[in-house]
Amino acid sequence: MKPSHFNSCIYVQSETRNYSKIDSGSARTFKGDAPEDFVTCSCHFKITILLDPRRINHTESSTMTLFHFGNCFSLAYFPYFITYKCSGLSEYNAFWRCVQAGATYLFVQLCKMLFLATFFPTWEGAAGVYDFVGEFMKATVDLADLLGLHLVMSRNAGKGEYKIMVAAMGWATAELIMSRCIPLWVGARGIEFDWKYIQMSFDSNISLVHYIAMAAVVWMFTRYDLPKSFRLPVTILLGLCVYKGFLMELFVHVFLLGSWTALLVKAVLTGAISLCSLFLFVTLVHSN
Amino acid sequence: MFEEASEVLENMLKWSFPLSLVLFLVLVCPLRAEAAHEFSVYRMQQYDLQGQTYGSRNAILNTEARTVDAEVLSRRCVMVRLADFSYEKYQKALRQSAGAVVIILPQNMSTMPQDIVQQFMELEPELLATETIVPVYFALEDEELLSIYTQTQISSSSQGSSSAAEVLLHTATANGFQMVTSGAQSKAVSDWAITSLEGRLTGAGGEDLPTIVLVAHYDSFGVAPWLSYGADSNGSGVAVLLELARLFSRLYSYKRTHAGYNLLFFLSGGGKFNYQGTKRWLEDNLDHTDSSLLQDNVAFVLCLDTLGNSDNLHLHVSKPPKEGSPQHALLRELETVAAHQHPDLKFSMVHKKINLADDTLAWEHERFGIRRLPAFTLSHLESHRSPARHSIMDMRSVSSLEGAGEDTAGPHVDLTKLSRNTKVIAEALARVIYNLTEKGVGGDLQIFTEQMQVQEDQLASLVDWLTAQPRAAQLLDKDSSIVNTLEYYLSRYLKDVKRHLVRADKRDPEFVFYDQLKQTMNAYRVKPAIFDLLLAVCIASYLGVLYLAVQNFGLLYGFLRRVTAPRVKQH
Repeated sequence: MKPSHFNSCIYVQSETRNYSKIDSGSARTFKGDAPEDFVTCSCHFKITILLDPRRINHTESSTMTLFHFGNCFSLAYFPYFITYKCSGLSEYNAFWRCVQAGATYLFVQLCKMLFLATFFPTWEGAAGVYDFVGEFMKATVDLADLLGLHLVMSRNAGKGEYKIMVAAMGWATAELIMSRCIPLWVGARGIEFDWKYIQMSFDSNISLVHYIAMAAVVWMFTRYDLPKSFRLPVTILLGLCVYKGFLMELFVHVFLLGSWTALLVKAVLTGAISLCSLFLFVTLVHSN
Repeated sequence: MFEEASEVLENMLKWSFPLSLVLFLVLVCPLRAEAAHEFSVYRMQQYDLQGQTYGSRNAILNTEARTVDAEVLSRRCVMVRLADFSYEKYQKALRQSAGAVVIILPQNMSTMPQDIVQQFMELEPELLATETIVPVYFALEDEELLSIYTQTQISSSSQGSSSAAEVLLHTATANGFQMVTSGAQSKAVSDWAITSLEGRLTGAGGEDLPTIVLVAHYDSFGVAPWLSYGADSNGSGVAVLLELARLFSRLYSYKRTHAGYNLLFFLSGGGKFNYQGTKRWLEDNLDHTDSSLLQDNVAFVLCLDTLGNSDNLHLHVSKPPKEGSPQHALLRELETVAAHQHPDLKFSMVHKKINLADDTLAWEHERFGIRRLPAFTLSHLESHRSPARHSIMDMRSVSSLEGAGEDTAGPHVDLTKLSRNTKVIAEALARVIYNLTEKGVGGDLQIFTEQMQVQEDQLASLVDWLTAQPRAAQLLDKDSSIVNTLEYYLSRYLKDVKRHLVRADKRDPEFVFYDQLKQTMNAYRVKPAIFDLLLAVCIASYLGVLYLAVQNFGLLYGFLRRVTAPRVKQH
């Protein structure tokens, strides 16, 4: 997890201007005046014609940006829903346990924030110089995530898969709500369009896969019957999971990647980690 | 899952109701995202003069941007660059009831070619004459604004010409812009006070001396109040007046050169709005006071208006001066000085009768003429209708070097010519005051030389200071720094410096000013509605693929199992 993750937990949007008189509800205007009018838009267009011309801007604007918010939110949330449904967790009454995992996530984030605030004061470094050592130290604090996941999993009795899925689902959902819902609500509803909201939603999908892989690796690490030959790969994977955020920032900084390219690299990296962990998991489970 | 969820939520909601209420209120509030670009816009003039309304009426804005070559302009914000601006395009925008017009001016006006500047100067009064409810804004160009303009231009000109597939691709990639201004609807400013300043130099020799009045109006006018710097009109006039005040106060401080004339200096406000300051000052001095310098022996009133350029000098009169009168003496002295000392200067008298049927008076001396005081105006402009008198192009900055052979765009102040004009006026006045011609002093004798010479750097710094900020009458209230500084400057050289305030009459106001002249405009990047639907379709297909992948996760699991199984069997 990146250190910037903390900022989004306590995300606050401040209003910069007073809008008592103007309709500040966003405005996406219609290209309904263009000769080629798409059929899908015609019904919406007819509805807006019926409305008072002065209210058109406000009404169609608020529907359209709520629509954009809906797009982003569904892109972020539906994979979680799908995973929950299809992994069979619903049969095991796992909802409450997921919520508990989420609560543990909050607690761990709070502890990490306090620790960072106490021991890592803001560096007065030169602007533009990326403080490698500082960021590395901050990333090391993310080891607490592993402890948290381990705590969650040890309290749940059941098969390995069940424990992993419950812990990962709860953890990832809590992260989704805390760090993505509020920026999406605040930002995607605004007038200004930015690709970063779609990217944020994709990022949450990638996080889900990442947390599942991380939980699986933690589970494997704590098994007493882990063969000697597996120790090293599991440890390497564990290290990669914790420092993935740091590595991503390093890549972006060194290679000056664009936002979409960075997302792609992150997806590839997460995919590789999760495939390796899945491979190890299968080998471990079915070698007995 | 939903039964469990509802159970859990019920428990949670019982004690978290206040929290959720607060949360709801917070979330429902309209929120402002950051804009792509934020810039200052200056609104066109809006005022009422003697009951007649001028300028653009409206102020708030929340519309999509288009350039002027787009087909549909109604309820859109039309953006035009100065280089492409023409009156027909402006009319077209107004006819189609555009939401607003934004004219983008270059940062450095001297980069504009001469003919465009001239054309715009001629258009300014026409823009103001057509009263419109569409707000017209002026913005100074910078990089981001230019990029917004080019992007808008590309999307505007490609409308209605390409196939459906191209339009589809275009909507996905193009950026539309939404222009929003902050601020409220413009309303009339109540109780605005126009300030005028007067100061005097008393003559030597007791009572009943003749008075010479020197007048210049210090405000400026242009199509946008915040952009009217008025370098030549009338910054040059103010600079000349202040320099004359300095020179004559120096002469009057020595007993031997203390002449027998009272000199009254008057800096009038509201000059561009039909000389409101002068009008009220005259009323107060002639009607409401018992004794005033203006009531007694007034030799003549000399108004200074636009003296910063050109080799012409015109004395505008409403009736030709009679022989033997002080006015005629001044006319003669001006001719003498011009002929003997500055042969390159062409001096002439222009006679124009006062036409009371006109909406506004032509020159400032006509105000005095109406009250039967002998007056004339000195200006290098031949006609009062010259566009240089009310243009935002009248600015100080001159980029091309003197003698580069190129005419600089727009009216501006040429310091050598300004100081020459100052000298001519000073010499002529001195000859009248000290009666030099009758005493037989030749036209060649120069009084203002060496220690008494006209200081060009003084003039330069005055003009620079005057043009550093806009001086429109709507922006200068009685506490403004310009008025205070002028008062301080006058009080250094003159005695009895007084302020004179003009407030519009409550029931039948001669002038009404409106506010909201400078606003901040935000440009937001927006995507059209079709884009949202496209995005929804893409997201739906992505989710479908994901669903299938998760459903068939077992396949991957089985595959990996098969891959690892042979190894296990071997052990």
